[in-house]
Parts: sequence; C-alpha cells; structure tokens
Amino acid sequence: MIEENLNNQDRFLKTVKEAIKASPGGYRKNREELFSRLSQSTIDSRLKKIQNRTRADQLKLLDLLMEQAEPINLRVMPVKNLQSASESIKELILDKNPEWGTVKKVAAWKHPLIDKLSLGDALAKYDIPVYQSELKSTDDLPAGKQMIREQIFESFVGITAADFCIAQTASLVMKSHPNQARAVSLVPSIHVAVIELNQIIENLGEFYFLQKWDPIQKKEGLTNCMTLISGPSKTGDIELIMVHGAHGPCELHLFVITGET
Amino acid sequence: MNRNKSVTLFIQCLVDQIYPEVGDAMVAVFQKLGISVNCPTEQTCCGQSAYNSGYKSVSKTAAKRFIEIFEKSEVIVCPSGSCVDMVRNHYPSLFRNEPDWHSRAENVGGKTYEFTEYLVDVLKVEDFGASFKEKLTYHDSCHLLRNIGVKDQPRKLISKVAGAELVEMGNSDKCCGFGGTFSIKYPQISTAILDEKLDNIMSSGATTVVGCDVGCLMNIQGRLSRKKLPIKTMHIAQLLVQ
Amino acid sequence: MTTISTEHYKNKAKEAIKDDVLQSALAGLQNRLGPATAAMYKNLPEGDELRYKAHEVRMFALDNLDMLLEQLAQKIRQRGGNVFFARDQKEAVNYCLEITRRRKAKLAVKGKSMVSEEIGLNDALIKDGVKAVETDLGEYIVQLAGEHPSHIIAPAIHKTRNQIGSLFEEKLGISYTNDPPTLTKAARKHLRDAFLTADIGFSGCNLACAETGHITTLSNEGNIRLATTLPKVHVAIMGMERIVASLEDHDALFRLLSRGAAAQNLAGYVSYIGGPALDSEIDGPEEFHLVILDNGRSKILADEEFKEILCCIRCAACLNVCPVYGKIGGHSYGCTYTGPIGAVLTPLMTDIGQSKDLFQGESLCGACQDNCPVNINLPRMLLALRAKTAEGDPRWNIKPSSPVEKFIFSIWSKLISNRKAYDFFFRLARFGQKILPTKNGEIRKLPPPFSGWTLDRDMQQIASKSFIQKWKETQK
Repeated sequence: MIEENLNNQDRFLKTVKEAIKASPGGYRKNREELFSRLSQSTIDSRLKKIQNRTRADQLKLLDLLMEQAEPINLRVMPVKNLQSASESIKELILDKNPEWGTVKKVAAWKHPLIDKLSLGDALAKYDIPVYQSELKSTDDLPAGKQMIREQIFESFVGITAADFCIAQTASLVMKSHPNQARAVSLVPSIHVAVIELNQIIENLGEFYFLQKWDPIQKKEGLTNCMTLISGPSKTGDIELIMVHGAHGPCELHLFVITGET
Repeated sequence: MNRNKSVTLFIQCLVDQIYPEVGDAMVAVFQKLGISVNCPTEQTCCGQSAYNSGYKSVSKTAAKRFIEIFEKSEVIVCPSGSCVDMVRNHYPSLFRNEPDWHSRAENVGGKTYEFTEYLVDVLKVEDFGASFKEKLTYHDSCHLLRNIGVKDQPRKLISKVAGAELVEMGNSDKCCGFGGTFSIKYPQISTAILDEKLDNIMSSGATTVVGCDVGCLMNIQGRLSRKKLPIKTMHIAQLLVQ
Repeated sequence: MTTISTEHYKNKAKEAIKDDVLQSALAGLQNRLGPATAAMYKNLPEGDELRYKAHEVRMFALDNLDMLLEQLAQKIRQRGGNVFFARDQKEAVNYCLEITRRRKAKLAVKGKSMVSEEIGLNDALIKDGVKAVETDLGEYIVQLAGEHPSHIIAPAIHKTRNQIGSLFEEKLGISYTNDPPTLTKAARKHLRDAFLTADIGFSGCNLACAETGHITTLSNEGNIRLATTLPKVHVAIMGMERIVASLEDHDALFRLLSRGAAAQNLAGYVSYIGGPALDSEIDGPEEFHLVILDNGRSKILADEEFKEILCCIRCAACLNVCPVYGKIGGHSYGCTYTGPIGAVLTPLMTDIGQSKDLFQGESLCGACQDNCPVNINLPRMLLALRAKTAEGDPRWNIKPSSPVEKFIFSIWSKLISNRKAYDFFFRLARFGQKILPTKNGEIRKLPPPFSGWTLDRDMQQIASKSFIQKWKETQK
C-alpha cells in the first residue's frame, strides 16, 4: 500500500506544481528558503529576554493570565507552595460531586510536580483512590493501557501538569509524553492543572518562537500530539447561548505555584 | 480663494434621467463656493451595470468613452460613490493588460472624487449655511463606505445643517438590498434585505433618510412609497441647499 | 459534492424568507456574532495589518504548495503515520472505507469537518455498515434531524431551542425541555458512550504546518480531541490548500481564525497532530492516516483570477455579515459551502453554469471582505464569475448563458456610446412610461425585464427633462 501511495503522491504533486506554474504568484521560493529563518543574534537576544524574566515580570504575566482567564471560565488560583496546592486540590475534590455515578475517583499524571503533591496519601483517608497513569510493566502493554484507560473513564477529576502556560490567551500547553495520558485532561468532568510561576510565557508568538528556536524545545519538537487548552469545554451551538461542558471537562482549575517570597 | 478653481461634473445616469434635481443642487453648492462648473454634455453612463453583470466588453467600451471625455478635466466630481468606485477602482483593472489605457484609466481615476469627499477632504468646507429642521438619519452606501472609504464626511456636513438632528439608525452600514441588477433578478431577496433597512430607519425616529447614492435612495424610496410610509429620501446635495 | 442542488436557489430562498423562525435565528446570528467579530479585529494590537499579513502568508503557501505538502507527508510518515493523496472524493472515500473494513469498524465518531461533508463520507460509511456519529453538538443536532449543516461553524443555527427540544424528546427519549444547558447535557451523555466505544475517529484539519509536519484541529467543545484520542484509529481529511509553511504563521492565523469564527482570542482546544501515539504512551490512536484531497482545487489553483479563494480558512465570518445569507440561510444554497465563500467556491468546484444563482444572487456590498480574517476579495471573484457566465470560458466549460441579457447589454452598449441615441431612447421611455400604472409620480408596475423591481417596490418616473438637457439650456 505504501508504494502505491507514493505513486499517488507523485502524480498529485505534479498536478499541483503544474497548477502553480499556470498562475505564477510572487511568492515562489526554492526548497531551502521555504521556512522562515532568523539571525543567531536575534534568536539569542529574544531567548535571553524570555528566559531572564525576573520574579516581578513573571508575577505580571500571572496577572495578565488571570485577567484573560476570567472571561473564558478558566479558574486560576495562585498558591504559595506545593503543600497549599495539595491542600486546595484536596478541598476541591471533597467539595465537588461526580457528574456520572456517586463514587469519587481521581486520575493523575505520573509527573514530578504532581507526584510531589502526594494526593494519594491526602485522599486515602476519604477512600478516594488517585490513579496514576503509569505503565509499570513492559510485559503486557495493551492490558496495562486498557486498565489505565478504564480508571480514567471512572474518574471525575483529572490532574495534570503542563509544559507551558500562555498568558495572553490563557492557554495550557500539553505535549504528549509517556505516562501522561491524554485522556486525563479530557475525559473527567473536572480538569485540575498545576504549574509553576516560571512556566508562564507571554503570548502565542513567544510560544512558537520557543518551539522553533530554544534548543531544548527544538530537540523535543511538538511531539506527536500537542494540545493548547484554553478554558473548559464549551459550545454555543444552540441559539449561540454559551454552555460549558459540551463534551470535554465542565470545569478547569489551574493552580499556579508562586513560591514563598 | 476658490475663484480660479473649476470642477467637471460626472453625472450618474440615474441622476441624469430620474433625479436631475440632485445635479441642480450640486451645481448650486459649487456656485455658492465660487467654483466654476463644467459638464460634458456627451457623457452617458460609466458602464457599472454592465460590469456588475459580467459584461466586461460593454463596460470597456463605456470606460474608454468616459476616459476620452473626462481625461482633460482638472477635477471630476460625482454625486455617487459606486460610480466613483467604478472609475477609480474598476477601470484600471479592466485594462490590466493594456498598459496605455491602464495609465489613462489611472489618471482619470486619480482625479475623480465623490461629492462629499471632495467638499470635506479637498475643499475643506463643511458648513454651507443650510437649514433643515428635521430628524435625519444617514444610510452608508456600500461602495462609498467600503471602496471609497467615505464615512465621516457626510456626517460632518449634516452636523453643520442648522436645525437638523442626525439620529444614527441601527446597522447604518448594512446593505439596503439594491445591488444594481440584483434587485431586479432576485427581487424577493432584495426586498427582504430592504425591509430590514426600513425597520432600522423607522426605529431611528427620523423623518428623512439622507444618502450619497441615488441608487440606494431610489431603492429605499420605492419601498417606502409601496408601503405608504411617511418618510422622505434625500440626496445630501439637496440637503445642503435647503 | 454529493447533494448539490443549487438550481433551487430562488425557490428555497423565497421559502426561507417566509420562515419566521429561521428569520429570527438568522437575525440573532447577524446581530450578535457579525458585529462581535468586527470589534475583535479592531482590538488586535496589529489592527487590520494582521489580516493583510495573513493574506500574504496564505498566498505564500499556495505558491509553494507542492513542496509544503511533500514536507508534511514526509514528516508524518517518519513518525509512523500514513498519508494518502486523493484526487477526488471517490478516491478519498474509498481510502477511508479500506481502513474501516480492515479494522472491522462498526462505530465511527466524527469531529466537525466540512471536507467530510464535501466528499459525502457519512453516507458512504453508513452504506458500508459503519455507524457514523457526528459529535459536534450542532452537527449532531443536524444529523438527528436528518438534515445538512446550514452554517460552516454553527451547523444548527437554523434551529430554535424549542425545535431542538422536540427533536431530543423524540430521538433521545428525554422529557421535553428548551433549556440549552439541559439539552447540551443530554447530548453530552448520549455521545459519551460513543466516544468511549468507537473504533475509529474522523476529523478535518484546520491548517497544517509544513515545517514541523503536523495537522491541527480546533474546537471549543472538546469533541475533536475525544474523537482523535480515544479510538484506536484516527483518520484526518484535509483540503490540499489547508497548510502554511512555518510554525509562526499559525500565530497570526489562529488568532484571526478564532476571532472570525467565534469572536474569541483562541479556540478552546488547538491540537497539533503529527502521527500515531508512541508505544510508550498510554493513549492516543495507534494508527494515524492523513488524506489530502484535491477534488477540483488544483484547477482553481491554476487560475490566477480564482486561486485567491484557496486562502480561505473556513471561519464563516463572511456568513455572519452577508445581507443575503442573513435572509436566505444556508440551506437555500443547496451545497456544502454556503454564504459568500460558498457563492464563489461551489461554482468553481462543481459547475459554474449550473450554480450561477449563487454568485448572481449576491448584492456585492463587500461586507464579506471587510469581515474576512484573511482579507479575501470575494466581491472581485463574484464579479469574475459573472463575467464567465456573461462571456463564456472554454477552460471552465461554460458558454454564455443568457442570450436575452446579452442582447440587452449589446443595445445598451450602443446607446451609451452615443449621446444622441441615448437621449432618443430616454425620450421614448419618457413617452412609454405614461401608459404604466402610476400613483403620485411613482410607477407601480414596470414591464419586463424590469418587472422584478416593482414586485414589492415603486419606481420614480423618469424626469421630464434630463439634467444634461437642462444644463444645455442654461448654457445657451
């Protein structure tokens, strides 16, 4: 099938190329000039500007984030440290009721920041299990995946970290990683995300710049699936009336760990 | 200061045949300013209706004739935004592949002005000492607004008319449903759009609708008349000589 | 397109205008979303410049499309995805069916995708024994009602909450309500099972990125994320023009798309998908297919007059301000792509002559271009299409369509070339109008071909003397 598809491709692209030739525009480039480039000094100075933000700068970005989050129903809660984040999340879980059924279960990413919240211990005495999406043995992958999938489906709260948070559009960025099931931010009725203050960047332009030019991001790439989440699920399909919780989470709570000082 | 200025009138065909009083009013306005007025009597139609129906060869014939008649003029002024749009924007594109005609078209287009644009932007006169004690509302004609960029000029002129109160209607910039031959070929759609315009006019509480394009005004007036509604239509040139 | 019936435009439009329920729905759309979009553009830090820049970005992509698609395909294959280039809807549908058959799929969930409407994918799947469920709330409503979308972004905009309440009562067996949150929740509950058990997920693609080799999907409901995350197979279908070169091009375009489509800063979910999930990942599809569709687009690309229409990013902002769409609604167009964009795109993708009502039945007001996030000159192309029907064009297999109209304009051409003949004609008309029914100087009924005018309107009589005649007299 692959070889056949390649033949299709050649024939198809030849047609496209001929069409372009028939209506020449002013933007045709050589292959090596197709993608935008920047000089190393421009890259360095912009990277420096983003990476050397002071705490005061980051707190300003947090203000911007909170301002932008409000109209899209994304609830941002700054907390001083992990412990108070853990405490607040515990309260939230105790406070909220499951949308489907009555049993409270929670799904969480296997992620250093989330691990440090020790939510499993905190919720154990309330008989609320916290399922970590982690593939433990390499023996039977499909069975392991199926089990975690079912655990996520049964959970009413999903807890994740994020790779970045974009202030201007109030967006959480999540690249796909092992042990960080995509469904945790998607299937449970309530999505709780936890980030650190220095993960906030200013706007989409900055985000794309980092993906393209920051050596660490560049190496990682966008991964096979990267999602920008701006607020809980919503729809206006019935008479343009805004309703939250169309198919994805009905609520999105973002805890930002600001640090002590 | 206007003693040695002169303008050449480009009279829209609808004004020429159906609303000549709009042309008279324009002449009176220029005379008041001491500007001498020319009017080539061999002019007919700019070819817009043919162009909008897709008959490029007909509109080219009209365009060449227009250029020949008007290209010696210093300044050309027209009481219609869509006709100015035709001359200024569409004539050059008609002659995309004929460099000689293209430059002649650009030359003529560059000195063709819509009436209120010329008064406010070029002559910088807004007050004509007119007086009209009524509530007025202003309809933004599509081509005038979007293709010529005239929005504030007529409003400035109206604001200087003694006794006149300008009340903005809702969606003043929404199409009235005229669209040239569209209104004849698709009358039901055109009327449905027009009725929304009438609703907005009625809700404004105005007794007169002022506009800069008799195409739209003729359309609005036709429906007002059919529905026996007691609202008048008026071209802005007529307002300025009240 | 499978269900094209543009020849009913006039009749459907008449029915739509008389439908009070539809009229109030359309007024709601145009009075709220249209102006909101315009206000969002105004508040952009870059102002209108961003729209012009976005237009350039799109034209750049079109001029280099072959190389961009090649790079996209190569990168996706490197990540273990499959890419299929389909020349027409049949090839695209067949490829999709090969997959559903091989996977023995019984249930497919679909994210909103106009291109899947274009190729008639639902009907083909159902015929092949696959239950295809639309999951976007609007599409779901339309599918339950057995209809087609009437708007690119708000497919069920023609339906009121009362109608949707009755529909859900009948089809989902819930007790009647017209409360949008309750109705939304009913659909949520119903579709949840479909998401959790579907064998395959279908989506469209908003705008791929060649540089990184990803497609993107945008939604607010989260349905596309669910449809492309939970099933084991994800098939994305994209029109071949839906791609840009560089990653940062998405900055301008997504901000504009979100504003144009829904007056928001950024769509709730933006996903970059570049291949199937890795083995080490817990979820995500194990198989990923991208179908890149031509279906008449290369013919448009080859025509310098019309290639600009391929800049479109399907936000539907033009529908929300178009006075004609605002009266006749989407179904009158009789095709997948409606409103001003449909009035240009549909004739080019199907048959110009057959669908001439779409581009002749527009008032040329220009609001569409003003509201277009990528500043497409739709009025110019509406005129260019009219020129095709007026004068014919063998390349588009179109002959001049109306000999009567052509005759009228050839006479008109002679008249306007000679002022004496022109004056004579109007002298005749002045004389002739005396026999027409008239009241207070307003003609009540005009003869053909002008009779349409006086159907619902009067017409002021021709003046007794033309301006030019009066002018000549004063100059003597």
